[in-house]
Amino acid sequence: MNDFLDAFRFIGEHTALLWQLTLDHLALSGAAVGIALALAIPLGVTLGHMHRGSTVAINVSNVGRALPSLALISIGVAVLGIGFANVMVALVVLAFPIVLTNAYVAVDGVDPDAVEAARGMGMRAREVLWQVELPLALPLIFAGIRTAVVYVIATATLASVAGAHSLGDVIVDQATYRLPGVLGAAICVAVLALLAELLFAALQRAVTPRALRLEERGAAPLLGDLTTSERTAST
Amino acid sequence: MTELAPALAAAAPVIPDFGRGSSCVRENGTFCWDWVGDHWGDTLRPALVQHVALTAIAVAIGFAIAFALALLAHRRGRLTTPVVLATGLLYTIPSLALFQLLVPFTGLSRTTAEIALVSYTLLILFRNTLAGLAGVPEEVRDAARGMGLTRRQLLWSVELPLALPAIVAGLRIATVTVISLATVAVFVVDQGLGAPIYAGLQQTFKTELIAAGALCVALALAADALLVLAQHALTPWTRVARSR
Amino acid sequence: MKHGTLRTILALLAALALTGLAACGGDDDDGGSTQAADSQPGKGKPAVTLGTKNFNEQFVLGQLYKQALEAKGFKVALKQNIGSTEIADKALRSGQIDLYPEYIGIFNTAVAGDTKAYPDLDGAYAAGKTYAEQHGFTLLELTPFTDVDALAVLPEYAREHSLRSLADLAQIRGLRLGGPPEFRQRETGLVGLDRVYGISDVDFSPLTIGLQYQALDDGKIDTADVFTTDGQLQGGRYVVLDDPKNVFGFQNVTPIVSTRVLEAEGPAFEETLNAVSRVLTTEAMQRMNAAVAIDKQSPADVAQQFLEANELT
Repeated sequence: MNDFLDAFRFIGEHTALLWQLTLDHLALSGAAVGIALALAIPLGVTLGHMHRGSTVAINVSNVGRALPSLALISIGVAVLGIGFANVMVALVVLAFPIVLTNAYVAVDGVDPDAVEAARGMGMRAREVLWQVELPLALPLIFAGIRTAVVYVIATATLASVAGAHSLGDVIVDQATYRLPGVLGAAICVAVLALLAELLFAALQRAVTPRALRLEERGAAPLLGDLTTSERTAST
Repeated sequence: MTELAPALAAAAPVIPDFGRGSSCVRENGTFCWDWVGDHWGDTLRPALVQHVALTAIAVAIGFAIAFALALLAHRRGRLTTPVVLATGLLYTIPSLALFQLLVPFTGLSRTTAEIALVSYTLLILFRNTLAGLAGVPEEVRDAARGMGLTRRQLLWSVELPLALPAIVAGLRIATVTVISLATVAVFVVDQGLGAPIYAGLQQTFKTELIAAGALCVALALAADALLVLAQHALTPWTRVARSR
Repeated sequence: MKHGTLRTILALLAALALTGLAACGGDDDDGGSTQAADSQPGKGKPAVTLGTKNFNEQFVLGQLYKQALEAKGFKVALKQNIGSTEIADKALRSGQIDLYPEYIGIFNTAVAGDTKAYPDLDGAYAAGKTYAEQHGFTLLELTPFTDVDALAVLPEYAREHSLRSLADLAQIRGLRLGGPPEFRQRETGLVGLDRVYGISDVDFSPLTIGLQYQALDDGKIDTADVFTTDGQLQGGRYVVLDDPKNVFGFQNVTPIVSTRVLEAEGPAFEETLNAVSRVLTTEAMQRMNAAVAIDKQSPADVAQQFLEANELT
């Protein structure tokens, strides 16, 4: 218990350092998530809209989920060397499948009746996509973004072993920062991840039309990939 | 350097020729098969075996706990939200942080590693088991009750078999997650594939990084595939109906 | 689905868990075998746990001591790579390990909290011994080798500027020096170099440990902070500058043992460890470190070959 009190004291005494590392951490995570979103969402939405490539989209997710993060970072270091850019690439590779699959399943799974009705009203394909499919798919797409964000923030902690800066810098450097420092930074990382989870959970709820709010009975999904994992796991 | 000097001066050890590593290793080539061959037995295989052990124990214990909790929540729905919140909280804490936060309590031991790894399995296994049980159609339950099955028989003969796909799906995700996170355990105990990975990172020794990293990826993919096969084997009826 | 299948699954899971738990048994021991030697003073003595810190030289030392003890019949469990000095010290005090090899300078400053700069090795050792004994530990014999910081330069650079010792660096303008980030603030770093040798005009580059030799080779820095037993120094590829005024202190290794354990193991235990320590010269450590760091041999193999060559096993 003593150790934890020292940890909080450390946080108080080293706020500037921890703040700087938090910003580095968020920069790394943000860049990786941003790129993953830019690549995966258009692709996933398009494939889902065309109802094509389900095998690919879902198996990419299965393989991607299986990739151990530290192993991927280590192979990246061997091939690409250390540094911000290289770690970021590894994080993009980890985040991409999550976002892709969710985007695909989201658009692919939009109620076919709604799509029929829209077409019956004379909407063209593009209008159906933007005015019907996307709004209905948004909650699940956001669930994927949420999962990816939290996952990347958690994995960015490991970036320190590969030459990029993050809160993990303190956690892995016990020699310099000693136990209170390590615990203090660990607490900061945990809080950061939890805040991200809460923020994106709120965002996800905000974009979910009231009528579509997932039923709270039984297994209330706290993490976005519930639906994805249930649907994709049986392939 | 006085009284110690005579003793220090007397020491003149025989230094054997340790042999040189291949030029590939000495120049840190991208991947040196000879190193892998030489060190499979003393570095890579032990790490792999430890990794499998860490994973198996964590998933087994996690499943036992989550299964029990799911059965309870299946009976008493009010338990669901607090369990999901608690396990979700544990799941969100990044692994490196969780390992270090446990160290003051359980020390630098396998116990610490296992406690952390078990906590990462709980949410997925609990959620999937419960969702599987909840997904059993009400008509089926009614029919079973109508046939005179007791609650226990209903659970074990009807509900659980039907929940199996979801349960195994959860096991699959949990296993793969633990295989990934067990690499981080190296910061607490010198076991698992994280050990050669971290050693390789400290020296930027490419061969070790790629060998250990690839082994870890292969292990995860193999475990995933095995569990998919197991699921298909245990649920022949799902193979028949495939929509979409 | 039949009742039986579900039962089978659960049985399999249970078997899996049991196998896992069985694997728990041999936690840290990598299966050291005792050889049929003439004298086995260690037979029947309680098992000891030997710990090592988190870098190559420590792994080699751990294997050297472990294998030598096992050759004499002692039972040794090795907890390799436990972490930094702070963690090793905590592990020792809490009884998780019974001994580990420590550097006398680090012991005094980091463990005993004694920042006094000792002018000679005897003084440092005596101070360390006093502290240890007050806290229930014993420091065994020092090794001949000392693993201290040093500054290294390329041979051409040394010739060009006529460099033999650190004092000669004071004349160089804008000396480009590379080292770990904390080198800048350390007494055994830039602070001491300035105070003692007057080296003040320095352009410092923070580098991760391990990258300094590359930086020297590439000409990015003029001089690098190295460790005197680094494998890379072997063979004269770099010139290590003398430290006559002893800014970098003393870092000979001494196994720290819990006194209670030492007494329980008998005098042969201490003598075995000391016999190993006595043959660890700087050159020997450099060669062993080189074998591990550059040729990527395993510390266990390297230790075994060394012990065999010196009839300690």
